Amino acid sequence: MKVWPLKFRDLVDGTIFADDAGGWFKSDRGFLDRYGKDQLAPDDLSFLQSNGHAYERVGDLSHTAFAWRWASRQAVASPLAYVILVPTLRCNLSCGYCQVSRAAETARGFDWSSETLKDVLRFLDRLETDQIKIEFQGGEPTLRLDLLEAVRDFCRKRFLRSEFVVCTNLQRLGAAEWSFLEAADTFTSTSVDGDASTHERQRTVSAALTDEFFGNLAMAAERLGPHRMSALPTIDPFSPPDFMSLCETYEQLGIASIYLRPVNHQGFARRRRMRSEEMLLWNRMHSDFIELLIRRNAETGHFLEEYYFTHALRRVLSAGLEHHVDIRNPNLFATDYVLVDFDGKLYPTDEARMLSRIGHVDLSVGHVATGIDGERRAAMNASSMNNFDPDCIHCPYQTFCGTDLIDDVSRYGRVDVPRHDTWFCQRHMALFDKVFELVYRDDVATRLSLARWAGVAEWPIGLARRHS
Amino acid sequence: MISLRFAVEATGARHPFVVRLNDDYGLRSTTHDVYLAEFEGADAVFEGPGGLLRVQGLRSGEADGDVLLVIPDRNIAHRLIRAASDHNTLLVTERCDQLCVMCSQPPKTRHVDMFSLLETAALLAPRDATIGISGGEPTLYKDQLFGLLTRVLEARPDVSFHVLTNAQHFVEQDVQTLRALPAGSVTWGVPLYSADPGLHDRIVGKQGAQAALLNNLAILCRAGAAIELRTVIMRLNVARLTELAVFLVTHVPFVTNWAIMQLENIGYARKNWDELFEDTSISFGHVASALDLARARGISAVLYNFPLCTVPEPYRALAPSTISDWKRRYLSECDDCSARSRCGGFFEWYPDDRGFAGVRHL
Repeated sequence: MKVWPLKFRDLVDGTIFADDAGGWFKSDRGFLDRYGKDQLAPDDLSFLQSNGHAYERVGDLSHTAFAWRWASRQAVASPLAYVILVPTLRCNLSCGYCQVSRAAETARGFDWSSETLKDVLRFLDRLETDQIKIEFQGGEPTLRLDLLEAVRDFCRKRFLRSEFVVCTNLQRLGAAEWSFLEAADTFTSTSVDGDASTHERQRTVSAALTDEFFGNLAMAAERLGPHRMSALPTIDPFSPPDFMSLCETYEQLGIASIYLRPVNHQGFARRRRMRSEEMLLWNRMHSDFIELLIRRNAETGHFLEEYYFTHALRRVLSAGLEHHVDIRNPNLFATDYVLVDFDGKLYPTDEARMLSRIGHVDLSVGHVATGIDGERRAAMNASSMNNFDPDCIHCPYQTFCGTDLIDDVSRYGRVDVPRHDTWFCQRHMALFDKVFELVYRDDVATRLSLARWAGVAEWPIGLARRHS
Repeated sequence: MISLRFAVEATGARHPFVVRLNDDYGLRSTTHDVYLAEFEGADAVFEGPGGLLRVQGLRSGEADGDVLLVIPDRNIAHRLIRAASDHNTLLVTERCDQLCVMCSQPPKTRHVDMFSLLETAALLAPRDATIGISGGEPTLYKDQLFGLLTRVLEARPDVSFHVLTNAQHFVEQDVQTLRALPAGSVTWGVPLYSADPGLHDRIVGKQGAQAALLNNLAILCRAGAAIELRTVIMRLNVARLTELAVFLVTHVPFVTNWAIMQLENIGYARKNWDELFEDTSISFGHVASALDLARARGISAVLYNFPLCTVPEPYRALAPSTISDWKRRYLSECDDCSARSRCGGFFEWYPDDRGFAGVRHL
């Protein structure tokens, strides 16, 4: 019998082992010792075979299943069918940590020209897909409703199916804006940082603007419904909101999935001094929030989730969850989605455009008039996988994790920093530690939440296997 | 019950042949198309290139587009393909190398090779049809089967097949042939009853069957074949269903879906019903746990042939209506049931007095 290589990591009460195909189990240092010294007992071998970590001969079912699981853990890029558009960089708010290097509402030269609009429509027309998802970002995209209308009208005619997301601060909405958002193929995404005081501190600054926002938010919940509206809070770990009231705010909106988005290290946020304890604080806060959800879910019977934790949990449980571009491997840029900035430049991600905008590094991958620059994209994608990273190859979470070279460039100016020193790695290590802590926890409340988050009726006993 | 056989008279023909019935002239025209000429009493008379075909008891519009296999010397026609139905299955042989304790169609030793006629029928199927292929064990005649699939799919790329097989007869050399079939056009429905080789072999009545099956599942995987794994639950294997779920997520994760199936009270299952039938309306625990485990780990596990009232509410969405229309019936309890329209009901031969204790209207 041949045993596939295993990677391991100590948790508080045991050691997690995983292979390269996403198989995992919990054991202890005793097993590790036997494994390391090539002194596996018959019981060990029998367990490893039954749990998919060993095979008898090339091509047998265990061997083939391992190969299939390995392959299914690799993200495969689909055709370009998701385009983020930034028709204007102007915004009617000036949030303290604005992630987009926005321009003042009255500034000139920060909107698409009529030529850029034509180029955008031509670019969309040339896509080899009959289904499109367009995300309007900014700035505040509703400041240029005329451009949004032009794009939406075009896509509805050009594509068999089209879907639109407007990322708006919901700050100033007139009849025309509401009418645009109310279309059946149009979805609204906004930021709600928690209760009114947190939102005001981080975004709206004045009481009048805060009232206006929450008024519009309530109206959006009523007019659009939870299925056509999403919201997420941006969290500053140095000044977090009251999480209980954050849960209440979201529950009242009918939104059961809350994505705690860390303040991004871009744009205005970059001017803030990075403090060494930020990572520690974030991870502790995130873990506490998960515990709060578990308690609250069990007490109220109304289930909320933290979107990214649920996604991480599901990635541990099974393959095929490659739709979240923040965590997938390989993370091929400018392939299935791309961003068109206010000046027509193409960027692989929103973060890349911000990083380029502040003059840190030019991560553009072409221009909407001339298309994607294949050479620049290839240069980027050569480093955009964790398969061969000298640190990742020893990590049991490698298969579930991803890679984010743009975040690395943003924070450290290079892509080859020792992985363990990066924000991306430390955040995801803590995230997956939490996943494994919970899947092995023997507790009714935890199982209730895990079942919901995993999308099943009851958390199956015996799903998380142990070997001693 | 929908009739799958007609009494017919075919003038001038001696050998079996295939026809497609048409209510109107001109819409379809192959050498196999026959057209309704008139009604004579309770009979419909069709005319075509080979002469007249009289079909007894057929009403207008009832069989337009249906494909019949006519056996002239016995004056019968098998309704191979019903154009209005999603449940069309071609039986290619009645021979089988397994003898399952609950077999719904006990095997026979005699084989009549009808492949050529069945291929003609498949070519005449309505647009986008999914055609079931069953037996017996179809892969006992693997060359003919592969030939049929290859030729029909080349001529009719809109058609797809669902082949029930015990997967005992695939070999490494089949990978090329299987890969050459258009992707996604053939689903192989393969039964696996237990992770325990002894128990699986006992259920299928063949020693070494599970070992061969597992080896051949690997071949199907390498061929990129779409596989629907099927597990009929019985008192023999239900307690070990979760163990099977663990086995599948680890060793057979490549299946398109896993169908956990209730027993059909016909064939050997009728004879052995009291020893085999597991009343999941009373005790659903093993099934629930297997469903949850498989689904949490990414296998699309579903319930076939489970009346909705016998399934606890959280799992009902996983129980589509699967009993074929021609062998489906509803009980008196179903009369005012709010779930009737999405429920597959019961098999025609469901034993009212020895069936589910928990049947009720929802």
